[in-house]
Amino acid sequence: MPSSSSEQAYVPLRQRAEWADVRPVPQDEGPHPVVPIAYTEEFRDVMDYFRAVYVARELSPRALRLTTEALLRNPGNYTIWHFRRLVIDALDSDLVEETLFVDNLAKANSKNYQIWHHKRWLAEKLGPEAANDDHDFTRFILCHDAKNYHAWSHRQWVLQKLGGWDKELDFCHQLLEEDIFNNSAWNQRFFVITRSPLLGGLSAMWDSEVDYTIKAILQNPNNESPWRYLQGLYKGNPDSLITDERIPQLLLNILKENSYCVFAWNFLLDVLCKGLRPNNEIIEAVKGFTELDDAGSSDEDLPTRICSALERMDPIRVNYWAWRKSNLTL
Amino acid sequence: MEGPEPSEFAKERHAAFAEMMLHELPRDYASQEINRVTLAYFAVSSLSLLRSLHRVDKDQIATWVLSFQAKPKETHNVDDGKFFGFCGSRSCQFSEDSVQSVSNLASTYSALAILKVIGYDFQNFDSSIILESMRSLQMPDGSFMPIDSGAETDLRFVYCAAAISSMLNDWSGMDREKAKDYIINCQSYDGGFGLTAGSESHGGATYCAVAALFLMGFIQTDCNNSLSLPTSTIDIPSLVEWCIQRQGADGGFQGRANKDSDTCYAFWVGGVLKMLGLYHLVNKSALRTFLFTCQSPYGGFTKFPYEVLPDLYHSYYGFAALSLLDEKELGNLSVELGLAALN
Repeated sequence: MPSSSSEQAYVPLRQRAEWADVRPVPQDEGPHPVVPIAYTEEFRDVMDYFRAVYVARELSPRALRLTTEALLRNPGNYTIWHFRRLVIDALDSDLVEETLFVDNLAKANSKNYQIWHHKRWLAEKLGPEAANDDHDFTRFILCHDAKNYHAWSHRQWVLQKLGGWDKELDFCHQLLEEDIFNNSAWNQRFFVITRSPLLGGLSAMWDSEVDYTIKAILQNPNNESPWRYLQGLYKGNPDSLITDERIPQLLLNILKENSYCVFAWNFLLDVLCKGLRPNNEIIEAVKGFTELDDAGSSDEDLPTRICSALERMDPIRVNYWAWRKSNLTL
Repeated sequence: MEGPEPSEFAKERHAAFAEMMLHELPRDYASQEINRVTLAYFAVSSLSLLRSLHRVDKDQIATWVLSFQAKPKETHNVDDGKFFGFCGSRSCQFSEDSVQSVSNLASTYSALAILKVIGYDFQNFDSSIILESMRSLQMPDGSFMPIDSGAETDLRFVYCAAAISSMLNDWSGMDREKAKDYIINCQSYDGGFGLTAGSESHGGATYCAVAALFLMGFIQTDCNNSLSLPTSTIDIPSLVEWCIQRQGADGGFQGRANKDSDTCYAFWVGGVLKMLGLYHLVNKSALRTFLFTCQSPYGGFTKFPYEVLPDLYHSYYGFAALSLLDEKELGNLSVELGLAALN
């Protein structure tokens, strides 16, 4: 947000010749205001004049300039944005210039809903030719904050409405190379493989995505995101979850090196509950690990033993694993 | 859990903080001034949870809140798509011509919530124009716009519509089936909900989804605490596991996977588990310890541990989260409405 002590001293609108014919409309607080805000004089001045042009519905160049000043101080006010859009339409203003204006505001206020909505309005007007420029902008925002929810939302909207899918999977991959823990990038990857018109949908992408995800898991097994992604890949095809040999192979690989990997035990518990017929290696791995914890429980079925082990390994979720254990017989 | 003993809940300091905010918000809240009525809701509902409503003049508050109601001219045609609810601030309210006032769903929810909390008598309150005009805000896909002049549509406003309907005890203002369909489409591959279909699972969005389904009557827990759901709704086991996985080693809740724990998600995500009858699965002592690291020496709560300056939003949700933990100095909460229960 720009501070009120800018390089040029602020000249109140009341003192500007251009606005001499306008009577400002002060905020009517009414008696006993609740949560009144200690506005600066500048804020108050600009808003008083905005109210005047809004009520008069003055759709003029000076009104446009006034909304600029108002938005620099109050970018969350959707009434000002709405009025600005009316002025832009009435004056047929240059939309490329407008994009520069809103992009600069977005850089300073990247979590402001109204700014992103204005970008959406502009994108719709500019059409598919502007899609790539728009993606360049969200890429810029995501470079500085790779999990900015607004930027991702906007990017998804532009992809679906205006296109530009061709480099999206690569973009996801690049972000994951920078930070394999970036759950937003994983989510975007799922979005692309399921919705991109260029890729053929989940069934076409499924096999290569399983390999991609397994590689990511092996890189860092204590990362929740790829485990959830892997689960997601099998949602449309639950039978393959218990027949795909890559799954028990992955779990054994991890548990050999990382016997305390909670996500791996969790995943094994889930596939056993869904009907996986464990091979001897899996059975030995479970018994070998849980034997240390649960003397006397060697007759218990694998899911029960795993739940007991998880109660110890993942103490934050001790109540959850106990509850899962109690539901196993249901 | 290793670590320092949880501190005492500093009730007096919190009540003083909430009361101070009610009387004046510092300059840095100017960027949120469009949501003043929501800020008032945080302050008033905080005082109610803190059993300190006797410190305020409820009649004055009621008068102030009601002054934000947008009312149509008598000749107004309700089919023209304009919404007549409550405005969120004076800066979108124009007394010379109230047709130009821009009311919105979020401030309508906040306004009604304040009135409920202070015990306002709704007997003579005419809610018909709110509900009739709210229909115009619902989109063909079941989502809601917050204002009639165009804005983003997402789960937040589906929740607001459901909460408004629930508080007014009248469902004529929305199509519940369509809203349910929109919500279902927002469930992500990992079990949580995003704000829109395809968006990343997020604690706030998940709360909005589950609370809206709960308010609309699509989720019921019976006295044995088992869930009954009509078919083809949501994947509950994945949802439960997603929620449980949000509690970190520090005891706090994160809003999304692999992000830092933040005070407010103790309410958003904890609240989901509460509505599902599964709050007992939360590690309460660890959560309590985390929340007390966010308790500000100035009263109120901060977003992250060991920060000093509180803000009203995290303070309110900090109180709400501690109410879920049965903190004895706090009153009860209506989880699905996100407000202090009437005591």
